[in-house]
Amino acid sequence: MNTLTPIRTGPAKTSWFRPVAALLVTAVFFLPLYLVLANVFKPGADITAHPVSLPIPPTLASVKAVLTRPDHLFWYGLVNSVEVTAISITVLTIVSAMLGHYLARAKGVMPKAALAILLSGLMIPPSVILEPVTDVLRNLGLMTTVPGLVLVNVGYYVPFGVFVFMGFVKTIPIELEEAASLDGAGRFRTFWQVVFPLLRPASASVLIFLGVWVWNDFLNPLIILGPETGTTVTVGIYRAIGEHQSDFGAVFALMFLATLPILVFYLAFQRHFVKGLTGGATKG
Amino acid sequence: MRKILAPSAIAVTAALVLAGCAAGGSGGKASTGSGTKAGVTLTFLTFETPNLTAKYWDDAIARASAKVPGVKIKKLVAPSADRVGYAKQLAASGQLPDIMIAVSPNGFAQAGQLAAWSEGQLTDFVSPHANPVGGKVYQLPYNTQPTPFVYYNKADFAAAGITAEPKTYQDLLDDSAKLKAKGITPFVVGGGGKDTWADMYPLIGAVATDTYKQTPGWLAQKAAGTAKFTDPAFTKAAAKIADLAKAGYIDAAGLSRSYADDEQAFRDNKGAMYPMGSWFAASADAKAPSFGVGVFAWPSDDGTLAVPAYTGGGMSVSSKAADVPLAQKWALAFMLDKTSLDNSVKTDGSIIALKDYTPPAGMGPVYTETVNLYQAAVKANGIVNAFSIETGDGSMPAGLADKAAAGVADLINGKKSASGFGSFLDAEWTKANQ
Amino acid sequence: MSTTLAPPPRGETTQRPGGAPSRRRSTRLPKALHFLTFGAPGLAVYLVFVLVPIAMAVGTSLTNRNPANPPTKWVGFLNYTRLFSDDDFLKSLQNTLVITVIVTVVANVGGLAIAMLLDRRGKLYNALRAVFFTPVILSSVVVSVIWQAILSDDGLLDSMLRSLGVKHPPGWLSNPDYALYSVAFIITWQMLGFCVVVYLAGLQGVPQELMEAAELDGAGPAARFTNVTWPMLAPALTINTVMLLITGFKAYDQVQVITNGGPGNGTTSTVAFDVVQTTFTGNHIGYGSAMAVVMLAIIAVVSTVVLRVLQRREITL
Repeated sequence: MNTLTPIRTGPAKTSWFRPVAALLVTAVFFLPLYLVLANVFKPGADITAHPVSLPIPPTLASVKAVLTRPDHLFWYGLVNSVEVTAISITVLTIVSAMLGHYLARAKGVMPKAALAILLSGLMIPPSVILEPVTDVLRNLGLMTTVPGLVLVNVGYYVPFGVFVFMGFVKTIPIELEEAASLDGAGRFRTFWQVVFPLLRPASASVLIFLGVWVWNDFLNPLIILGPETGTTVTVGIYRAIGEHQSDFGAVFALMFLATLPILVFYLAFQRHFVKGLTGGATKG
Repeated sequence: MRKILAPSAIAVTAALVLAGCAAGGSGGKASTGSGTKAGVTLTFLTFETPNLTAKYWDDAIARASAKVPGVKIKKLVAPSADRVGYAKQLAASGQLPDIMIAVSPNGFAQAGQLAAWSEGQLTDFVSPHANPVGGKVYQLPYNTQPTPFVYYNKADFAAAGITAEPKTYQDLLDDSAKLKAKGITPFVVGGGGKDTWADMYPLIGAVATDTYKQTPGWLAQKAAGTAKFTDPAFTKAAAKIADLAKAGYIDAAGLSRSYADDEQAFRDNKGAMYPMGSWFAASADAKAPSFGVGVFAWPSDDGTLAVPAYTGGGMSVSSKAADVPLAQKWALAFMLDKTSLDNSVKTDGSIIALKDYTPPAGMGPVYTETVNLYQAAVKANGIVNAFSIETGDGSMPAGLADKAAAGVADLINGKKSASGFGSFLDAEWTKANQ
Repeated sequence: MSTTLAPPPRGETTQRPGGAPSRRRSTRLPKALHFLTFGAPGLAVYLVFVLVPIAMAVGTSLTNRNPANPPTKWVGFLNYTRLFSDDDFLKSLQNTLVITVIVTVVANVGGLAIAMLLDRRGKLYNALRAVFFTPVILSSVVVSVIWQAILSDDGLLDSMLRSLGVKHPPGWLSNPDYALYSVAFIITWQMLGFCVVVYLAGLQGVPQELMEAAELDGAGPAARFTNVTWPMLAPALTINTVMLLITGFKAYDQVQVITNGGPGNGTTSTVAFDVVQTTFTGNHIGYGSAMAVVMLAIIAVVSTVVLRVLQRREITL
């Protein structure tokens, strides 16, 4: 988030108060995260004895133990997580960008109604309709398959994608599109070559948020993928809690490793995403 | 835009490549050979604990499969020790596994989702008619688990000047008072996180001594509508737990402990007595605490033995399995394998309920003492059902055991009186049958 | 951030009179084809995987569907009448609303306060912002495990309090009076950073000239905040509130992992949790579907009202 602009300039009035207060507040907030970080690199016996101490000397024993589990829990989970997340958010970005654009530009009652219905689904908790969703998937022969889970993700999150993209499309002057079409570009080309590149911040927001949500989802993969298709890393963590509750080293290491990919992903896309979320309204 | 498209493209490509390599494996041991030899693939739901590791299951599956050719087993692992809840979720989403172990048949059997075991298949079992549903047995009754016995810290008892194990309930109260006076919390309980069930054990003990000992079929009477949880026969047991908590003998703080933390708390000397299933004996022998561990049965008012126990714990086979007879054959082979049984004894403290079975030599002192206590109860005709764990005809409707565990937490917290707890259970029972 | 009731798109307000014919020309594809290519794919998936399941839930809610207790029969509105006298469900509903309100209010207020504290340039502030955002990308399962280790009775917080001489530190998760607030607190902690980052973006979008002009007019810090800063934060408030409502309504993972609905009967159970318990574990699919339908109706009303109110505020800018 280091590119938020413009950044206020000018000398601070109380030179020491703000940094000290900011540091203190952040430190308190950070403590729980510190707990995980410190204990990932500590030998198991030290975790219960000295949970708060620094990991000196640090050890990779817990991390190695997770990576080399004989049942490959982490690796199998990783394959599924990457597959489900990558496909879901790619499809979602494309589909909701186009739908968002369509609904922002189309005139008439039907698009308005479609939008209202779509947005009323924005806050539906997935678990509430999980049971009928499994019925639908079974009827389509998609239960316990990755495509099934992907489609469910797309259905759930398309309102959010549209919500973000639509707000952003409206900040793009329609003249740009008209100019492109005067030059003879079709609707597809106009959208992909002119509009979509301008939606970059919105795309970043959608990719990050849906990436985080899909990656961290726990109940849907647990039920929809089912035990035969395998777990995701997040389900793996849930499984590890019961198994190893007394072995916090293993649990923390698994949590750390499971978070790493999505953290990297976030860092790769973080440049524009806040602007994408608040639309063009937050004039950056 | 390229900045976003490039990583996405890489991610998708990577995903597809990974997917191609190992399409979402689950660690199952399904594919041992190529598809040349036609065989039936069956799914088998297991659960992992610190004692029952992935390797334990894999080895046991391999031994059973060696005896029953033509079966390929795909191992499934429940995401938590609550494999019953998970099996319910799977059943509700149409994916009930073909074979399951240690999953209470309650609810499944009534819904016709399980295949019954025949008399011929049950000849090797000591109690072939344990916990029947509609007269038929759906889960192999391969072991008996006394639930709970009271495991105690000998050092704490000595420190409080207690010289003998409590014989009557009054003894237990006196000993608790002595422990408390020394600053030792008498009872360790659990029930936090996902493991609400871990708070049930004191109540199971009290229901055994105060309700089931007098009327062994009490719960069936409740099911038939002739008894209620608000009857004195039941509230007397519930009141004992409420009073123990009120006197500070059960620390309500324990309700935030998961099952694993619960055991750890006993090991860390956070309390002197640990009412728990007989499986703790195996754990105490395998990794001895810093103090000596003794065991006694939850005492009744007059000192007669009433030990709650459940016989079952074995395999169930789905009525929709690809090949039910074959699945049953495999499940029996798994169940009767001597090495697996020995392992079950060593790791889970099982008391095997099979004819002609002798446990392996060299079992530890806590297990030996546990088995002796159980045998004494059998001789004294003191075995009763374990409240909320029992299954079969006349037992609780599906989901009620969870409600009971939640209600016990209120009982210990002082949020519910014994009669309030009783009427709560009555109401939930009605609701569960709607 | 404009949706249903948004003002006309900015582009159109400045549209020149001659714009209309050129627009018609841009519609190379007929309307129907435009819908089929751009609109239909997303709407179709939404229809099949959200609307159809909702319709099925409505249908199921009028039956006694229960695989352990066949056959399935129509029971009319029996499940609904039963729901509103079911203390467990009403408690779940109340808990969901309490969590949602706490999370929405506290994370918004706290997020704005911290954003104002961090609204300065420099590496230090960038780093602190990143710290606040980290929990947002963590799985709530992970967050639950961390806080369980801190808040349980043998956990870090109470151990610390004990070493400070507190004899009986509160049972944050084991005391039925506190557990719900602990769960709400944990969710708030996780979402706080999101609000911080969004408000920071909003604050940094407030034109410096506007602030200076207000200062010249003699407006004090409080007046400058209410008259200049706060109105400019309207879009940030919208997105934060929407995200927090989504988070509050769907609270499930934390309950499942940390409290299992307890301590005691349903003290922290949410509707999302109750529905899963009732349908999947309790086999009462008909009854659970009625719960789902009630929840969906509440959410439809809340999301419509909230979007309307918040966006009206943005429009008046």
